[in-house]
Amino acid sequence: MNRRLTASCIDINTPYCPCLLAETNHCVFCSHLRGQPVCDCNWGGVCILYEKQWQPKNVMAKNGGGPSRTDELGRIVRREPLGKDTYLLEVAVTEELARGLEKTGAFVFLRRPEDPQFFHFPVGVMKVEGRNLQMVVEAVGPKSNRVLEDQAAELLVRGPYYNGVLGQPWIDNITCGKILLISGGMGQAPALPIAAKLAANRNEVTAILAPGHVGSVFIEAELVGLGVKTHVVDSLRRTGFALVTGRLGDGAEKPDLIVSAGPDEQHYGVINAMQAAGLNLPMAATNNSTMCCGEGICGSCTRETQDNRIIRTCKVQTDFTQLL
Amino acid sequence: MVKVVVAGGGWSGCAAALSAAKAGAQVMMLERTDMLLGTGLVGGIYRNNGRFTAAEEAIAMGGGDLFVAMDANARHRGVNFPGHNHASFYDVSTMEPLVKKVLQHYGITIRMKTRIADIVKYGRKIQALVVDSGEVVDGDVFIDATGTSGPMGNCLKYGNGCAMCILRCPSFGPRVSITAKAQVKEIMGQKADGSYGAMSGSCKLNKDSLSGDLRQRLETEGVVVLSVPSNLARNSTLGKKACSQYAIAEYATNLVLIDTGHAKLMTSYFPLEDLRTIPGLENARYEDPYSGGVGNSVRYLGMAPCDNTLKVESLENLFCAGEKAAIIVGHTEAVITGLLAGNNAVRHCLDMKYLELPRALATGDFIAFAHDQMATKDGLRLRYTFSGSVYFERMKATLLYSTDRAEIGERVARTGLTDVYNRCLV
Ligand SMILES: Cc1cc2nc3c(=O)[nH]c(=O)nc-3n(C[C@H](O)[C@H](O)[C@H](O)COP(=O)(O)OP(=O)(O)OC[C@H]3O[C@@H](n4cnc5c(N)ncnc54)[C@H](O)[C@@H]3O)c2cc1C
Ligand SMILES: Cc1cc2nc3c(=O)[nH]c(=O)nc-3n(C[C@H](O)[C@H](O)[C@H](O)COP(=O)(O)OP(=O)(O)OC[C@H]3O[C@@H](n4cnc5c(N)ncnc54)[C@H](O)[C@@H]3O)c2cc1C
Ligand code: FES
Repeated sequence: MNRRLTASCIDINTPYCPCLLAETNHCVFCSHLRGQPVCDCNWGGVCILYEKQWQPKNVMAKNGGGPSRTDELGRIVRREPLGKDTYLLEVAVTEELARGLEKTGAFVFLRRPEDPQFFHFPVGVMKVEGRNLQMVVEAVGPKSNRVLEDQAAELLVRGPYYNGVLGQPWIDNITCGKILLISGGMGQAPALPIAAKLAANRNEVTAILAPGHVGSVFIEAELVGLGVKTHVVDSLRRTGFALVTGRLGDGAEKPDLIVSAGPDEQHYGVINAMQAAGLNLPMAATNNSTMCCGEGICGSCTRETQDNRIIRTCKVQTDFTQLL
Repeated sequence: MVKVVVAGGGWSGCAAALSAAKAGAQVMMLERTDMLLGTGLVGGIYRNNGRFTAAEEAIAMGGGDLFVAMDANARHRGVNFPGHNHASFYDVSTMEPLVKKVLQHYGITIRMKTRIADIVKYGRKIQALVVDSGEVVDGDVFIDATGTSGPMGNCLKYGNGCAMCILRCPSFGPRVSITAKAQVKEIMGQKADGSYGAMSGSCKLNKDSLSGDLRQRLETEGVVVLSVPSNLARNSTLGKKACSQYAIAEYATNLVLIDTGHAKLMTSYFPLEDLRTIPGLENARYEDPYSGGVGNSVRYLGMAPCDNTLKVESLENLFCAGEKAAIIVGHTEAVITGLLAGNNAVRHCLDMKYLELPRALATGDFIAFAHDQMATKDGLRLRYTFSGSVYFERMKATLLYSTDRAEIGERVARTGLTDVYNRCLV
C-alpha cells in the first residue's frame, strides 16, 4: 500500500475546488494560487490553476461568498433514542446532497433554521438511504441540544463536506486486505460507512466495539450483516486495547490497516497498542477537530504536524500519527 | 560500482545516461512519460548552421552514438532554408525506439512512466529520488535532465494555456525539477519584455491534412516556404518565441514548413481558421501541440545554477544537462551538455578532476558563454543555440564555426579530448 497521502486536499476533484482558499491566494495545493511564480504541486490528476481559469470569474459575488456549500432545509423523518442523550436522526434532503454524501468521511453541518449560522456543528453521515440521511447526534452542549430539543421538524443541512476521516484514501483504495476496526461510543456512527466501504472492496474486517459514553453498541447487527467479525467489549481502556495489542502481536492476524473511529484519546490508545506490539501500521482515524466553517477559512480546525506545518483539517488530509 | 541515476529521458537525459554508461557506471534513467526524447519527439532539425560543428566535436570526442543514430534516421540531409544551411531532419515518428535500443545496448536500465516527485537530501548530498508512487530510488550521483517545459499551470500563467503538447502533463503528471526539490533557487528565463518563460517556437501539422501537391513538394524538397497573406503577418509574436534563431523578419512574412515526419511549421502557433486561408492548407490540422491554433508549451522556467562542469551549485552530487543547464535550445545542445554531465557524474564518484570543455572548442565556448550571459539582466532574455542568433554570430566571428570534419577532428585532438567519452573510467 502506498503510505503517502498524496491527495493533500480532500476537495480536489470535487465541485468545491477551487475554493475560497484559492480565491484568497491560499490554496493548499497549487503553488500559483499561493502566490508562487512557478508550478510546484503534487498532482491531483487535475490542474487547479486551470480549474480556476474555467471557473466563472465573479465567484465571490455569487452565492453570497464564493464556491462554498449552501444550507438546505431538511425534514426530520425519524428520531429514535439510541442511548444516554443520543438519538438517531433521519433527515430527508435533496437528491443532489444525498448523492454527494455517499463518500467515505462525508459529513454535514446541522442547525435549527431559526438559529444563527454560528450554531451549526459538524455531524458525520452514518448511512444514506435514497434521499434520507441517517445521523447519530449526542446532546453534549448548546449546539447539539438545540437540534434535538422541542421535537424540531426541520433542520438546516449544509454539505457535503468530506474530510471526516484522516487516511480516507487508504480506506478507499485498499482491496482484499485485513483490517482491524476499533470503535467506541459515538465513533460507531462513522465506523459503519467505513466498514461498508471496506467490505465492498472484499477486505476482511474485524471490529472491536465498545459502548463508550453513549452506553450502547448500536451498529453490531449492521456490521455482522456486512460480513464483519465483531468483538464487543465493555470498555476499550479496560479490555479493548489489550485485545488490540494481542491481535497485533499474532502474526496470522496482523492487519494491513488499522482504523480507529472514536475520540482522539481512543486514537492515542490504538497508537500505544501498536507501539506495545512493536508495529507501525498505516492507521486511518476519524477527524475530531473543532470545525466552524468547514471551508478552510475560519481556522478553528488547524492542527500542527510533526514537521511543523499548520494544516486546516477540515480540508487537508494527513496521517493522524503525524499530528502533534 | 558507481551508480548514476538520471532524471528525465529527453535528449539530454539520454546523452547523460549514455556517457555515464560508457565511462563505466551502472546507470538508471527515469522518465515520467511512456516515450523517451521529451521535446525531441517533435523537433527533428539538427546539423543546421553551428550545430554541425558541435555534432562533429562530440563525435570526435567519442560521444557520437546519438548523432550517428539521428543520421541513420534522417529524412533529409543538407537542406537550406531561410537563415539556415546544411540542415538534416531526423524522422520524429521513428526516432524514439532507435534511441532506446542504443541505450539498452549499453546496459542502461530505463524505467518509463516513472515520475520523480521528491528527493531525499542529507546536508549537501542527494541521497535518493522519490517516485510519485512513494518508491525510493537511491544512487551515488544524480543528473537533473528534467527539462524546463510546462507543466500546465506555467503554460497557463506565462503562455496561452495548455495546448496539449507531447509532454502530456494531464496523463503523466507534471514535470518536477530535482534541483528545485533540493531547494536550490532556480534561474528563470525571460521574454524580451521581461515576463517569465518563452513559448516553444514551432508547431506541427498533420502531413496527411496538406493538399496533395504541397505534401509532395515537402517530401521531395524537405522544405517549403509559403508566403503569409499580408493581413496575417505577425511581427508581434517574435519576441515571445523560445527559438530566437527563427525570430527573424523572414519568418513573420513567410511560413516555413519542414518535413520531419510531421509538417513542422516554424511558428509558435497559428490560429487554425487563418491558417486554412493559405493555399494548400485548406484542410490543415495540428499534430503537435494538438491545439497549435491556440498556443504552445512554455519553457525556460527553472534552470539550475551550475558551473561549466555542469555540477549544480551548492550540492555535491547533482549535475544537470539540457535546458536545465542553461537557457539553451536544441537537441544538439541537449546532447553535448548531457555527454559532459554524464562523464562528470562518474568522475565525481571516483574523486577525479571534473572535465570542463575548453573554450577552444565551440561546445566549450558555448557552455561558458551561455553561463556568462545568464549572469546579466539582458542575457536572461535571450536563448542560446549553435544554430542562430547571438551565439551563431559569435561562432562565425571567432572562427569556431566550421563544416570541415577533418579540421574539427584536429581541433579536438589539440585539446587532448579525442575519444574522451569513449574511455572507461571505472
Ligand atoms: C467531522 C466531525 C464529525 C462529527 N460527527 C458527529 C456525529 O456524528 N454525532 C455527534 O453527536 N457529534 C459529532 N461530531 C462532534 C460534534 O460536532 C460536537 O459534539 C458538537 O459540535 C458539540 O457542540 P455543542 O455545542 O453541542 O457542545 P459544546 O459544549 O460546544 O462542546 C462539547 C464538545 O464538543 C466538541 N465541539 C464543540 N464545538 C465543536 C465544533 N464546532 N466542531 C467539532 N467539535 C466541537 C468539543 O470537543 C467540545 O469539548 C463530529 C465532529 C466532527 C469534526
Ligand atoms: C515544439 C518543439 C520543437 C522543437 N524543435 C527543435 C528542433 O527541430 N531542433 C532542435 O534542435 N531543437 C528543437 N527543440 C528544442 C529541443 O527539443 C530542446 O531544447 C531539447 O530537446 C531539450 O532537451 P532536454 O532533455 O533538456 O529536455 P526535454 O526534452 O524537455 O526532456 C525532459 C524529459 O524529462 C522528463 N521529466 C520531467 N520531469 C520529470 C520527472 N520529475 N521525473 C521523470 N521524468 C521527468 C520529461 O518527461 C521529458 O521527457 C524543439 C522544442 C519544442 C518544444
Ligand atoms: S473549519 Fe474553518 S478552517 Fe477548517
